Amino acid sequence: MFIKGVGMTEFGVQQDSTSHMVYESALESLDDANMSMEEIDAIVLSNNDILSNGERQRHSASVISSLFKKKVPIITMLAGCAGGGTALWTAVKLQSSGNYNNILVIGFEKIVANVNKKVTDEILMGTERIYEQSEGLNFPAENALVMQQYMLMHGATSDDFASVAYKNHQNAFLNPKARFYNTKVSLEDIKNSPIVASPLRLFDCSIPANGAAALILSKDETDIKVLGSAEGSDYIAPFEREDMTSWDATKLAAGEAYKQAGITPSDIDIAELHDAFTSVELISYEDLGFCKKGKGKEIIRKGITSINGKLPVNTSGGLKAKGHPISATGISQIYELAKQMRNECGKRQVDNIKYAMAQNIGGAGSTVAVHILKKVN
Amino acid sequence: MIIRWICEKCNKKWIYPVEKCVYCKGNITKQRGTKLKVAGITKVFIPSPMHPIIPYNILLLQDEFGNRLPKKTMKDYKVGDSYVEEKAKTDDAVSIVKVKYDTYEAIKDAVGLLKGNKLEGDDKVLIKASIVTAAYPYQAVNNNPDFLSALLNVLFDYGIRKESIMVAEQALIGSDSLDAASKSGILDVCKKHNVGFADISKGPFEEVESEGLKFKIFKEALNRKVINCPIMKTNFQIGISGAVENLSRLVDEQTQREMYFDDIDKTLPKLVKLLSGSIELITIADATNGMQGQGPLSLGEPAFLNLILASKNAAALDAAFCEATMLDIPPHVANSSNTGYIDAKNIEIVGNELDALKYHIKAPAPNDTAHPDIKVIDGKACPACLNMLYNLSSKLVGLRGQQINLVIGSAITDTMLKEKERLVALGDCAIRKLESLEARPTAKICENMDEIEQILLLKKLLVTAGIPKITPVDKVKTKMKKLLSRVMG
Repeated sequence: MFIKGVGMTEFGVQQDSTSHMVYESALESLDDANMSMEEIDAIVLSNNDILSNGERQRHSASVISSLFKKKVPIITMLAGCAGGGTALWTAVKLQSSGNYNNILVIGFEKIVANVNKKVTDEILMGTERIYEQSEGLNFPAENALVMQQYMLMHGATSDDFASVAYKNHQNAFLNPKARFYNTKVSLEDIKNSPIVASPLRLFDCSIPANGAAALILSKDETDIKVLGSAEGSDYIAPFEREDMTSWDATKLAAGEAYKQAGITPSDIDIAELHDAFTSVELISYEDLGFCKKGKGKEIIRKGITSINGKLPVNTSGGLKAKGHPISATGISQIYELAKQMRNECGKRQVDNIKYAMAQNIGGAGSTVAVHILKKVN
Repeated sequence: MIIRWICEKCNKKWIYPVEKCVYCKGNITKQRGTKLKVAGITKVFIPSPMHPIIPYNILLLQDEFGNRLPKKTMKDYKVGDSYVEEKAKTDDAVSIVKVKYDTYEAIKDAVGLLKGNKLEGDDKVLIKASIVTAAYPYQAVNNNPDFLSALLNVLFDYGIRKESIMVAEQALIGSDSLDAASKSGILDVCKKHNVGFADISKGPFEEVESEGLKFKIFKEALNRKVINCPIMKTNFQIGISGAVENLSRLVDEQTQREMYFDDIDKTLPKLVKLLSGSIELITIADATNGMQGQGPLSLGEPAFLNLILASKNAAALDAAFCEATMLDIPPHVANSSNTGYIDAKNIEIVGNELDALKYHIKAPAPNDTAHPDIKVIDGKACPACLNMLYNLSSKLVGLRGQQINLVIGSAITDTMLKEKERLVALGDCAIRKLESLEARPTAKICENMDEIEQILLLKKLLVTAGIPKITPVDKVKTKMKKLLSRVMG
């Protein structure tokens, strides 16, 4: 299976309708693949039916049917913030069944369309309802507790997390589709940003955004091959897991993806990781096998994941600074990797990429999709 | 306390109650961790609708088995601190416990946090349930059957025998108690646990005098320990129907009518004080699925509060509930305290902190009915007139027209009528009161008027700009409809 075309809208606070954003990203992916909608024989979607954005639209599949004038199988995958990656994983499984040549995969979300507390509440619904929601444990608070445990166990400091944010903001500065494009954010800005849920500061958190991203998964050979596609799950609440600071869903999905690809973590040349919070990126370094447990801080301190490092991570700016339109995020990661593999990233271009990885997380490590791509000459 | 459900055979753990292990099919036991330590803490600065007051802390608590649990608090702790749930020090304390998937544990916890012995093996108990009208459990009008079932299990744990327990209630005047108990699922729970259900409206009653008022009180209530079990609801007429209001249905229908006629805000507190002084009374309130908005008879909707409250002081419990849900403390609750005034800050709260619980539920709109053109001017009408009001107004939904103001109850003042037009006196109390105030209503609807005629008159009022007249043709039509409705059953 191959990535034939990719497309995405800018991630920002634009108030276009979701249909408009979907159309824009799909059209770009079709143009990129030099294809027409005529050739698409299945569509896999991901979207969260956000209630607070005023659209009140459910049953996205039939809306997409109207939008694209298509009567092919259209299915919707829901996996919280891992919706995009899970949609791609589903499309890979669907295509491997043998019936579909070209599958359009789209993730889209319009979430920044109401006051902050409504948006917070919308996202809060992704946490466990009785133990977490009723105790006010929203995602920043949940991740703050994980971050604190990580700091207590492994000696990571607030500066380590600030370095993750700074790196990703520097990358987003160069990405025209990022919410923080051309916006300077200094290390001081990050370190002095207000506390959201201690020890998490505002700039430790990803920035919500509206947007859509699309890709075409094809049996036709192109220059980007999907070498590994895996999905892992874990219990909804980190507090009920044996170890809050190591996420099994990532380890399971990554293990399977490496196995499918026949490679090891050291083969990865570039990665787009799910940095919903800076601590998640650090933990993910460990869970994906880029370093040993507790050593994630060393990776960021040594600059290994900087754009000029040995393993550049989140060259797009990541969820942190490119923006995080929930279901669009997973597909936008593939967009960035595809553009990087085709040398189309301008000032943030990374050289000599052979293997690329995308890790997309739903909840606090509850659902994880990992994809490994290979550049084919 | 942290509870985990554990398989006896393979030791798998759940944070939810499960019946059997899905792997080895082993039996499940509860693991209760009681030695809690603070393993982590975060101070949260972002508000959300259910958590509007910031900053607040969330503790990551860990028990002696290594099980963890998040807990919201306004107090500051440090990692490593012990976490102890303090028990009440005063008799009037209110305990508030969140239901963590297990109502039984929450009730036990709520009662256990109160001061002194509350319920014992030799007790003869009357559970004053809250079943006001025939409605399904999901409508949150009546006690949740799961709540009653859990409460009975708690009582059995205390050693109280089935034959010593009576579940008792009477529906609102005009509603059939057994119908209501049946549809609400409460009757099934009584049958399942082999506990008797008594329809209070059938008596017998005993007359007791207090502060110049005579109350005919359900005799069984005077001879037993009473567990007052309101389902916590908003109420368009009196603010909330809670612990205090639930006691109003321990008296006969005539007394209830008189209490409303003489101003329920003043008479009900006298009953509550009388009961509190003469019987052993504990309130265990069902706020699992409470109600918000207009209240039980109109446009109220479920509020998924997931709480159990308990107290020996009914007024304090209501006041704590109002504070937690950010509603005003209504006069009938304030008047039920010894001083006639309640400040929630002075109530001892155990279990959860009030500030950590607070969020807005939908308050009632005192003048609204189900019909956009029919407004209410309420003079503390009795439940019979309220029932009539909601019956009539809901049957006319869809027929838009001229706005009318239905006047009900006897506690009407000139101020309430000021600048109000097209007044319609509904019920005998309101008709008499308007006459005494020399107000001239556009129409009068007596209680003994046939329902079809009442609807016809209201219809005419809606669609006619002036004073409507019931013509001979209307009367014939009404008779035909009556006949038809009898034939159709």
